[in-house]
Amino acid sequence: MNKRAGFGFYTFLAVFVFLVMFPFIWVFLTSIKPPGEIFSSFRWFTGNPTLDSYDAALTNRPLLRYMWNSFVVSTLTTALSLTFASFASYAVTRLPIKGKGLILGIVLAASMFPQIAIISPMFNLITGLGLRNSYIGLVIPYITISLPLSIWILSTFFQKIPYELEESAKLDGASPFQTFRKIIFPLATPGVFTTGILVFIAAWNEYLFSLTINSSDKWRTVPVGISMYQSEFSIPWGDISAATVLVTIPIVIIVLLFQRRIVSGLTSGSVKE
Amino acid sequence: MLKFWKSAIGSLLILMFVFFLVACSSGDSSSEEGGGSEDATTEDTETSTETEEAGEEPVTIVYARGVDTTGATQLVIDAFEEQNPNIKVDFREMPSDTGQSHDQYVTMFSSQSSEVDVFDADVIWPAEFAQANYALELDRFIQKDGVDMSKYFPGTVAAANFNGKQWAMPKFTDAGILYYRTDIVDTPPKTWDELIEMASSLKGEAGTEFGYLMQAAQYEGLITNAIEFIASYGGQVIDEENNVVVNSPETIKAIEKMKEIVGSDFVPENILNFKETETENAWIQGKSVFARNWPYLQASSNDEERSSIVGNVDITTLPTGDAGSAAALGGWMAMINRYSEYPEEAWEFVKFMTGEEGQKIIAVDGGRAPTIKALYDDPEVQQSGPLFSNPEFVKVLESAVPRPVTPIYPVISDIMQIELSKALTGDQTPEEAAANMQTKIEEAISE
Amino acid sequence: MKNQMDSKEKSVKASKKSFFQLNEKQLGYAFVLPSLLLVFIVTLWPVAQSFYNSMFDYRLNDPTRSQRMLGSNIDLENYVDNYFYLEGQLDNLENTVQSEEATKTVTDIDEGVENYHSQLLSNDTIKQKVAKVDELLMNYKPVTDNELKYNKLDNDFAEDYREALGTYQQQLAELSQATDDEVLSKSLIQTSELLGSMQKNILESNFVGFKNYVKYFKDQRMWKSLWNTTFFTAISIAFELVLGLGIALLINRAFKGRGLVRASVLIPWAIPTAVSAMMWGFLYDGQSGIVGYYLEMFNLIPGASWLLSTSNGAMFSVILADIWKTTPYMALLLLAGLQTIPNSLYEASNVDGANKFQQFLNITLPLLKSSMLVALLFRTLDAFRVFDLIYVLTGGGPANGTESISIYAYETLFSQQNFGAGSVLSVIVFLCVALISFIYVKLIGSDLFAGRTK
Repeated sequence: MNKRAGFGFYTFLAVFVFLVMFPFIWVFLTSIKPPGEIFSSFRWFTGNPTLDSYDAALTNRPLLRYMWNSFVVSTLTTALSLTFASFASYAVTRLPIKGKGLILGIVLAASMFPQIAIISPMFNLITGLGLRNSYIGLVIPYITISLPLSIWILSTFFQKIPYELEESAKLDGASPFQTFRKIIFPLATPGVFTTGILVFIAAWNEYLFSLTINSSDKWRTVPVGISMYQSEFSIPWGDISAATVLVTIPIVIIVLLFQRRIVSGLTSGSVKE
Repeated sequence: MLKFWKSAIGSLLILMFVFFLVACSSGDSSSEEGGGSEDATTEDTETSTETEEAGEEPVTIVYARGVDTTGATQLVIDAFEEQNPNIKVDFREMPSDTGQSHDQYVTMFSSQSSEVDVFDADVIWPAEFAQANYALELDRFIQKDGVDMSKYFPGTVAAANFNGKQWAMPKFTDAGILYYRTDIVDTPPKTWDELIEMASSLKGEAGTEFGYLMQAAQYEGLITNAIEFIASYGGQVIDEENNVVVNSPETIKAIEKMKEIVGSDFVPENILNFKETETENAWIQGKSVFARNWPYLQASSNDEERSSIVGNVDITTLPTGDAGSAAALGGWMAMINRYSEYPEEAWEFVKFMTGEEGQKIIAVDGGRAPTIKALYDDPEVQQSGPLFSNPEFVKVLESAVPRPVTPIYPVISDIMQIELSKALTGDQTPEEAAANMQTKIEEAISE
Repeated sequence: MKNQMDSKEKSVKASKKSFFQLNEKQLGYAFVLPSLLLVFIVTLWPVAQSFYNSMFDYRLNDPTRSQRMLGSNIDLENYVDNYFYLEGQLDNLENTVQSEEATKTVTDIDEGVENYHSQLLSNDTIKQKVAKVDELLMNYKPVTDNELKYNKLDNDFAEDYREALGTYQQQLAELSQATDDEVLSKSLIQTSELLGSMQKNILESNFVGFKNYVKYFKDQRMWKSLWNTTFFTAISIAFELVLGLGIALLINRAFKGRGLVRASVLIPWAIPTAVSAMMWGFLYDGQSGIVGYYLEMFNLIPGASWLLSTSNGAMFSVILADIWKTTPYMALLLLAGLQTIPNSLYEASNVDGANKFQQFLNITLPLLKSSMLVALLFRTLDAFRVFDLIYVLTGGGPANGTESISIYAYETLFSQQNFGAGSVLSVIVFLCVALISFIYVKLIGSDLFAGRTK
């Protein structure tokens, strides 16, 4: 597994990453073209690169505000969803409760219904709670949407942690809650961080609920905000590509920070069978 | 242990509290800042209910419409607020996509939300919204203020009239027109057949790749294009007595003509994907000799930054079929939410915006065609765009053909989009398309 | 459920300190509760409502069917308004009709309507509501309170009244044909139509049971969209699994710059669907799209315009965009699964002299099974409900070639405001997805559900 990678491997890697990134690279190249050139040729590089589109993307609409909103909503969603989900998963996999299959089934059922069919009742609920145009108004539906995935993934992780560790903790006099916090949770770090990334990005990407619930510009999130660059009959591609590049940067940083944790945990820790 | 739990709960609560605070305070501060303070509305409206009787605090109404990149909407609001110091208007942007904003309004109004007072409606919505009990009838307001409805283009007034009541005020209008390249074409074609002939022979001149561009993707724009063909051959979808009459030789002939154009070699191969955006892109790059589009294309054609055909574009009426030329009626109306808490104030705003003053601002700064005929004689309006001083253009607007005015228009549109799209892709013949539309629309109406 | 409630009560009663001394069982239920509550309130309740809606002929844009009614009802707002005009018009007609016979008919109608109306008002609740509605209408205010606007009616009375109004309407229409006076004829027709619209204010029950379902089982468009959805799901999931597994194995290796590769591989998924669908529309464009241009250049497709303007091309485009976007998601889930496989197993098999491929077959795949199935399960659930991507990229076209069942449901619900029928489509999606999940869960088997119950 840990053999040094050779030249061939890196070439393959470069081609692979290029193919995966190609649409994004093209969007970036588009964002530095002057508006007249965007549709007129298939040339990769423009003769006169310009940052006008970035300027327009930032001044025509409050893009930074959208990013802040998205960031807050996604962070809150991730934190709360992970908390609820790790409790539930721990209970389902490790604690002696009845109806585990039923609980997992009910949770799963929540992600079986088309989201478009939940919009109207959700709108009424959030309006009734007076949470329209707020962060919490979005966080509540987002947590619920992400719970099934989080609970299931965390359950598969908790399941794999050896019982022996828990038993020995118990013998040392730890309460169930302590066992959970001190033993299980840290051991499942890769799972927790994987789930965290998934939940964070899912919340960052969500469009329909955000559009419906936060209808005021101050509270709009990134996907809705970017769609607002269009006007009735035209799509300003320069602005949209620039905005797309801008909003992707923070996500890349977050993933870079989080991904280290994905591989630590189980394999690196004391847990080897 | 306890410490952990305490700190976890504590920090969570603090976090939430902070966000609520941020939420509230930014709401307050933004209303002080003035610009784009949508989030403060609920609070504002609440306070204004209490103080309304005192007659000092202004009432805030919320006005929703699609994204406006021209800034004309803000100018209208500013002008209105200056004249009515006791009414504040909050501008709430909706998605620019017509279908999406329709669905947003449906979600809002079906839950009887009063958050939006005035909203812009596509010309095809009033009957549907009236029937669904989302709109306030305007007749008594019109009567009370003596608004002369005859000053508007009759087609636009009719499109907002349903069950004998007026549900919306026409704000600006649109009609399909034929664009042509003056550097290639001397006299524009009169009939569809002439257009086909000219498009196929002139294609390739002055660097063009195509002869003609239209909108043939499966979406609402396909209906407007189809209505133009159908009406120009003397056909109709639903007649004055509400009978479905789409299965007629005239309609079949019109669909055949449409198919002939879509299947020809002088339109782009992906014409079945063409919406307004694609048409505009290809057109302003000088790729086509003719194009069918709405009036806004004139401004983009002459946009130095993007267009390569500046000064080489003129417009005319769409070609004629057996029964003359027909342009589909587009444009937007202003309506009042039935559940609005301030119908009187909302009406004041609607009256201003759709009156001479409002429409003039929208024409001069927003470039949209007024629905009040007299405005086309106004020198400022005439100067603001070459189209507004073009008598032929005014003629087209005046005689534009509305799409069927019925509360189930979305269903009818859906049926037509599918059947026409199938006819254009060759999945069925024009005869089958007409027959299918006839039976399916009849079924939908009787359901 | 009951157990959970008990434990909750207990935990509430107990002081904060003793919360941590809950026994394992109680703690278990307390841990599950918040998630379950959220799921119930936010999703399962709306789902139940949708089931209920699907049993009604429930259309928001039709005033006679804009409520879910099990019995007869009356729309007081419109009834009171119409009744007000009707009274005036009938009085007027009584004075203007010439023949004795006609006068008698009109008088009979007037008396008939008045009779039914007073019967209606004999109900106190209705009487009070009518007074309130009347007051609002006199001030030109809309009735916004549904409690006030509607009232239940006795089915027989409603039936009689409706029938009577229908007869009256016809009588007046006949009278208008019999008369030569044009003005009179017009006002007769007007009143006749008013009676007609009043008839529509007395609402029949719109409960239809499973009729909506029957309608959709016979609906070709539903089957077509279901097929499109299944096809889309199967193909994209298959590719995503293979590619995702490859990527996961790749980025699980140790090499320099691994973090950067991981982050860049995730980029496609980090771009919001609403934006990436727009972006792909731009890349696929038959005129200026770079992807269409290259695919055509390398003769992979018949022409750049094939991509979005033919049914097959559009389906291909949608699937490609989906694979591009969600493979990283799959890869990340599988990568996490790979992490749970202890290194010692590989080391041991190295000692046994197994090669890489044997290790993959004998160690990686079996131990990855449950992670893989969970990843597949969630991807399938999402893919089967696909909406944003298709809505933005093709809108379901051309000629409905890419319409997924969620798109069909959305059109019915929001464009056409037919909530009864739209709910049926949502329920159909639900049933299909539930079936698929059931199969997966069977495959996952006891892996996940095993564990202690005591």
